[in-house]
Amino acid sequence: MTARRWLQVIALLMPGLGIILWLIGSVVYIAVAQSFGAYGLTGESSFTMSYWADTVSRAIYWRSIQYSLYVGVLSAIFSVALAYPLAIWLRKPFPGSMAIGAVLKAPLLVHGLVAAFLFINLIAYNGFLNQLMQWLGVWDAPRRLQNDNHAIGVLILQTWKNMPFALLLLTGAVQSIPEDILDAARDMGAGPWDRFRKVIAPLTVSGMQAALVIIFIGAVADFTFQTIAGPTNRQSMSQLMVGYKVRGEWQYAGVVGVTLMLMALVGSAVLAFVSRMVMRGRLT
Amino acid sequence: MAAVSIQGLYKTFGGFAALSELSLDVKSGEFLTLIGPSGCGKTTLLKLISGFLEPTAGTIIINGQDVTKVPPEARDTALCFQSYALFPHLTVRENLEFGLRQKKTPANDRRARIADVAAKLGLEPQMDKLPNQLSGGQQQRVSLGRALVMRPSVILFDEPLSNLDAKLRDQVRVEIRRIQKDYGLTAIYVTHDQAEALAMSDRIVVLNGGRVEQVDTPESLYLSPRTGFVADFIGSANVLSGRVLGQSTPGLWDIETPIGTLETCSDPGPKGSTVALCWRAETAQLGKGDLRGIVRDKAFQGHFTDLMVETDGSIYRIQTGRTAAVEGGEVRFSIPPESVILLESKT
Repeated sequence: MTARRWLQVIALLMPGLGIILWLIGSVVYIAVAQSFGAYGLTGESSFTMSYWADTVSRAIYWRSIQYSLYVGVLSAIFSVALAYPLAIWLRKPFPGSMAIGAVLKAPLLVHGLVAAFLFINLIAYNGFLNQLMQWLGVWDAPRRLQNDNHAIGVLILQTWKNMPFALLLLTGAVQSIPEDILDAARDMGAGPWDRFRKVIAPLTVSGMQAALVIIFIGAVADFTFQTIAGPTNRQSMSQLMVGYKVRGEWQYAGVVGVTLMLMALVGSAVLAFVSRMVMRGRLT
Repeated sequence: MAAVSIQGLYKTFGGFAALSELSLDVKSGEFLTLIGPSGCGKTTLLKLISGFLEPTAGTIIINGQDVTKVPPEARDTALCFQSYALFPHLTVRENLEFGLRQKKTPANDRRARIADVAAKLGLEPQMDKLPNQLSGGQQQRVSLGRALVMRPSVILFDEPLSNLDAKLRDQVRVEIRRIQKDYGLTAIYVTHDQAEALAMSDRIVVLNGGRVEQVDTPESLYLSPRTGFVADFIGSANVLSGRVLGQSTPGLWDIETPIGTLETCSDPGPKGSTVALCWRAETAQLGKGDLRGIVRDKAFQGHFTDLMVETDGSIYRIQTGRTAAVEGGEVRFSIPPESVILLESKT
């Protein structure tokens, strides 16, 4: 391509890609710069490693990383694991399949905050679930289910909210597999599990990777569900970052923000790589 | 014992009967072709035999075992798909290996079988390629090889050549027949191409509207069709009605038809005073005889010329060699008595 042609291509890309790159780039730049002492909004600005050194020496930082990874990875895996059988079930249209598909995707329309409040109401000490369990005679007295230590409430909410998105991606991927291919596998002696393992999974691995990565990035940076339904003895990375920001410690918030971006980047790559290795596991 | 025995098979989709009271025996090592127009039920029958569909009524027995309710993965059949249905993420070798691994065939046996099939089908240079790196003919061979390595009791073909060009089709057709004979396989082959059916089959089943019209060898089917449908579907035949005038000489019947009086030496002779009969387009002898018609269309086909000749308001087809006949001109023709075939029914 000639230089003139290159210029033409760049000029055409600028209105769309240029703005995106500029917005993302400037945010990343400021976060990174702040984590090294620049752009101190409430104090002096100078290059220093002290904010990083200080933050990584705190136990709360590492606990937050651990906790956010726990929520991010498990939410992504649970969402995809639930979406796969549904996508396979809905692959071929049947009476009512459109309605079922629409209902399953309904959580996409409910805001996370609203979902979290509904969930809290459901599992509250005097909420519906406790009353039901007592009425059924399963429990003698109400139990404390809210803000559980293992973040099961957060995982349920994340999965409930994200599964429809995984379903959306996986349904399209599964539907793109020609019927003859699955029939051929069946004809060659492959039962349902082998058809999934050896044909469906490897042929839909790109859709699954996309679902895993996007859900992971969202869940690892969770703030809403964690604030309302998460354990009170742990903080997610977002919570930690907001905490620093509220106290006016922008540089520390920058350190956590950069860590979060790195976690999203590295975590996504690892998830994508591992899922491809597992799903492309050929014939063994 | 028949390799495949189908008894009283019915298959309905909603209110539509795709197959009705179909019974059929396929001998071991036989190459049987199912032929018929679109929607006649040939693919439905193949799917019933392979287990992808369950019959509404009737039984399917393979090697003496009732498999009517057995799922495809547990049947001793292998299907070659029209679309080839190769696994796009697996190499040729892995495609060939798929079924053997499912059956937990020992590695040594697996390697030996794959090597044998790959050699027979000329697939050795392609073994590490993915299906999208192969030509249509090569993909077809892999599909065939994938079925062959399984050494099934019955191999099923669902219009396997329909996606190939004419020249390749002829080549692969010969290969399939050779391999079927080499392995002594029982084969059931679906096609709508009558030339393919005639060239490949030990016997042909002509299906029409979900029923069997006729089951016979290619020669018998061509030379002695029972109905007008079979006569017209297998090769091009001119079908017409006639009135029996009597026997002019012993064994030779005179029949009055809309195009003139025809003689037939058909055995058995006519069963009533009115009959349905046919003659093949290539049996007409142009330039002699008492039959006359106007050439309405002339099409040069290479090794023969197609003439559409109008007589008594109907169009009849005549195939001849080089001819001086011109569109709009009159031609004389005759049909030898041995080429006039009496039918059981006109349709």
